[in-house]
Amino acid sequence: MTQRQINVIYRSCWTIALLIAAIPFIFPFVWMVSAGFKSTTEIFGTPTLIPREWRFQNFVDVFTYQPFARQYFNSLYIAVAVTALTLVISSLAGYALARMRFAGAGLLMLFFVSALMVPEEVTIIPNFFLIRSMGLVDTHWPLILLPTFGPHGVMATFLMRQYFLALPKELEEAGKMDGLSRFGVWWRIALPMSRPALAAVAIITFLFSWNLFLEPLIFLSSLEMFTLPLALSNFNDSYGLPLWNLQLAATSLAVVPILIVYLIAQRQIIESFALSGVKG
Amino acid sequence: MAAVTHTNEPGANRAPWLTLKYREMLEAWLFISPTFIGFLVFFLGPLVAIFYYSMTEWNLLSQQAAFVGLHNFNDALLVNPDFWHVVRNSVIFAVGLVPFNMALALTLALALSRPFFGVVFFRTVFFAPVVTSAIAWAIVWKFLLQGEGGVINQMLALVGIDGPNWLRDPNWAMAAVIVTRVIKMVGLNMILYIAALQAIPRDYEEAARLEGASRWQIFRMIIWPLLAPTTLIIMVLTTIGSFKVFDHIYQMTGGGPENGTLVLAFYIYQQGFKFFNVGYASALAIIMFVIVMALTLVQVMLRRKEME
Amino acid sequence: MTNLLLKNIEKRFGKTEVIRGVDLVIEHGEFVVFVGPSGCGKSTLLRMISGLEDISGGELYIGNRLMNEIQAAKRGVAMVFQSYALYPHLSVRDNMGFGLKVRKVSEEERIRRVAAAAATLKLEALLDRFPRELSGGQRQRVAIGRAIVGNPAVFLFDEPLSNLDAELRVHMRSEIAALHKRLSTTMIYVTHDQIEAMTLADKIVVLRDGRIEQVGSPRELYENPANQFVAQFIGSPRMNILPAANAAMLAPNSTTPVTAKSVGIRPEHIAIVSSSESALRGKVALCEYTGAVTLMHVQLPNEQTCLVVHDKNEVPPPGSELGLIAEPANLHFFDQKGQAA
Repeated sequence: MTQRQINVIYRSCWTIALLIAAIPFIFPFVWMVSAGFKSTTEIFGTPTLIPREWRFQNFVDVFTYQPFARQYFNSLYIAVAVTALTLVISSLAGYALARMRFAGAGLLMLFFVSALMVPEEVTIIPNFFLIRSMGLVDTHWPLILLPTFGPHGVMATFLMRQYFLALPKELEEAGKMDGLSRFGVWWRIALPMSRPALAAVAIITFLFSWNLFLEPLIFLSSLEMFTLPLALSNFNDSYGLPLWNLQLAATSLAVVPILIVYLIAQRQIIESFALSGVKG
Repeated sequence: MAAVTHTNEPGANRAPWLTLKYREMLEAWLFISPTFIGFLVFFLGPLVAIFYYSMTEWNLLSQQAAFVGLHNFNDALLVNPDFWHVVRNSVIFAVGLVPFNMALALTLALALSRPFFGVVFFRTVFFAPVVTSAIAWAIVWKFLLQGEGGVINQMLALVGIDGPNWLRDPNWAMAAVIVTRVIKMVGLNMILYIAALQAIPRDYEEAARLEGASRWQIFRMIIWPLLAPTTLIIMVLTTIGSFKVFDHIYQMTGGGPENGTLVLAFYIYQQGFKFFNVGYASALAIIMFVIVMALTLVQVMLRRKEME
Repeated sequence: MTNLLLKNIEKRFGKTEVIRGVDLVIEHGEFVVFVGPSGCGKSTLLRMISGLEDISGGELYIGNRLMNEIQAAKRGVAMVFQSYALYPHLSVRDNMGFGLKVRKVSEEERIRRVAAAAATLKLEALLDRFPRELSGGQRQRVAIGRAIVGNPAVFLFDEPLSNLDAELRVHMRSEIAALHKRLSTTMIYVTHDQIEAMTLADKIVVLRDGRIEQVGSPRELYENPANQFVAQFIGSPRMNILPAANAAMLAPNSTTPVTAKSVGIRPEHIAIVSSSESALRGKVALCEYTGAVTLMHVQLPNEQTCLVVHDKNEVPPPGSELGLIAEPANLHFFDQKGQAA
């Protein structure tokens, strides 16, 4: 055999192995959508990929079983709020940590680094009492405040700081000479040059909030206030057993739009996570 | 900007009360204050408070806390057999998940770090579960892994295997949870490894190949050592992540069967928010904090030693 | 008329002293060059004048006004950066007009001043381009244009030519000189290149370790260096420093001061004669032919190498013995501490 033939065989083996490995990554999504269209009886019958009878009624029932549209909207607006807030405060703090000399900077960095290693579960109990004393239980405030100011916000701050550090300093000095205030330098020079970092922070923050579960579980009690993950886990009958076809239809409705956005912007999204992982 | 005028008005030559240096400091703190205040209120404050909570016993009826010293820690470490059972579960979960996750991530990364036909497809597929909500992922897998009528078992039946009731069988539940969690999260480590692999200059590999090194030798003697810093970061992040796992367990098994998948994060939630043992749950949270910190430090130190 | 006054200016970063008490007067319309080896503090001094770096001690006046605690933008100075620092997201026109816009100058006035500056620098054709579409020399001109537009009292240049290739550097040097002639505004220019300093400056400030070694016109520095450091820093190739005893051998008519420890003689001031005609003899170790002149490395009996610029056609071959002579006026004597004696 020639070297060339060996290479072809070698590569084919890898590709086949990868295809097999990909099955458990794709299969759940496919089956989720397919089962969302099946009737209760068919769902437990002999498994078929294409439903024998397309039951669109499931997708109507999802909205009557609980206020699913409202819950969908809750998730959306909370994620937008958390993302916007995180972008502003993390880029401000990240800029100061990257560019300004001030007393306490070293200590602050140490605090922030240690925050990255503490799981949210550790602080959730005191935070519950704090939020309760503010009278904000069963509101969306804790779902906006805790993710923004918790370890995730610190990670975003570090990501911004790292990016600002790599920008050429002279540009900002030129801005200063041109008469910009500190705030002006940040807003008109540093931020426009940091679009990739801002995009990365926006993407991971949006998904972080969108997928948040522990905080909604602890703070929310009325159906009207639920966010998507909480709503999804709530499709049970009176015995607490899952209403599979409704649950899977609802899960499809929650997951598929995200997947479509992901497929369109996969490069950007994957790079964002790579950036956050390396810096975090 | 006007040409400089010679100002002789009184006070023109006096220094302003705010010097440039202090002005910069003030501005810096203004920039940081939103993050910092939020950090104090929602992170550092609670972190300090939990030490206080851990030394109290909460009375549900009177809504008051009584100081009980280290009683809750004593309870956890010496009295309550649940605690060690939970720690054991968490350790099994971590020990099962971390090496499996990392080995798979590295294998996929090695296969996908160089461009070839279909590489984008594979990367997209392996990363897709990462952007999916853990609850959604757990819902689907719970559905697939049902005992009778479960899709996986029906398919196994086609090849003559009688699958167990994965999530209800104490022998299988933990394994099922670990495997589905790895599939959910492996994409993240994979792209971190891919980024690290792509940062290695190709010269090294080409030089080694000219010297007659095999693929395995190149990996073992060049690539693996150069990946060490990435491996450390991934190991720390994955281990911490495995101790934090909550939503996945909540949705798939609820800690069952027979508390077989009851891990630390879930146990804290259960004690704190289901049974309202606030003091005990706080003590558990501190123990979790210590475990995570210790693991991180041990890993960092081990690695540093190895690299010397 | 005095434009800039530096009184005992100091700069400390933590415990390290970078500028150790600088006193300097700069007159209106002067072209002043700060020169010195890397790490001498010349850039830091410039940045302190600009306001980008705060002043740890001493006083800085621009016009009669104390500037220590005045923000950079309010000092009436403009700076041209080493990397040009053009905003990548703005066109040439917007880059040049940015400072005026920030200062809320009316649009009409802004257009007029940008156009005037563009005309001065022949940038009209480039106004709608973005920085990434420009060559190095064009970027340099835009950076200067941005400074001109603000109509500052003082121009500051921080090594502005160091990113250009050799040919372009010479060209831009002459453009900056022409610009100074036209605007007759005070310019302060930092460089590590002594040729740039010599060709551009009315007044050169030689810095070392955060202190001024000498201030003077290029000619003064060349002809009467205050100390051995300045003597060797200014002029290329470097001045030869020989033991004081060699002075009488080199120029029999010279008188060596009693405090002199060493004597300096520039390579271009040494003439070659046959070995019998001079008391200072040496052997040719190496000849570097550069076209107009030949740079000869002559090994003296004390093993020291003496550089000689030889502008005759016939060059003694390596290994040959020869004698060295010089005019007494061209000898520079230095004492124990390296100060002119």
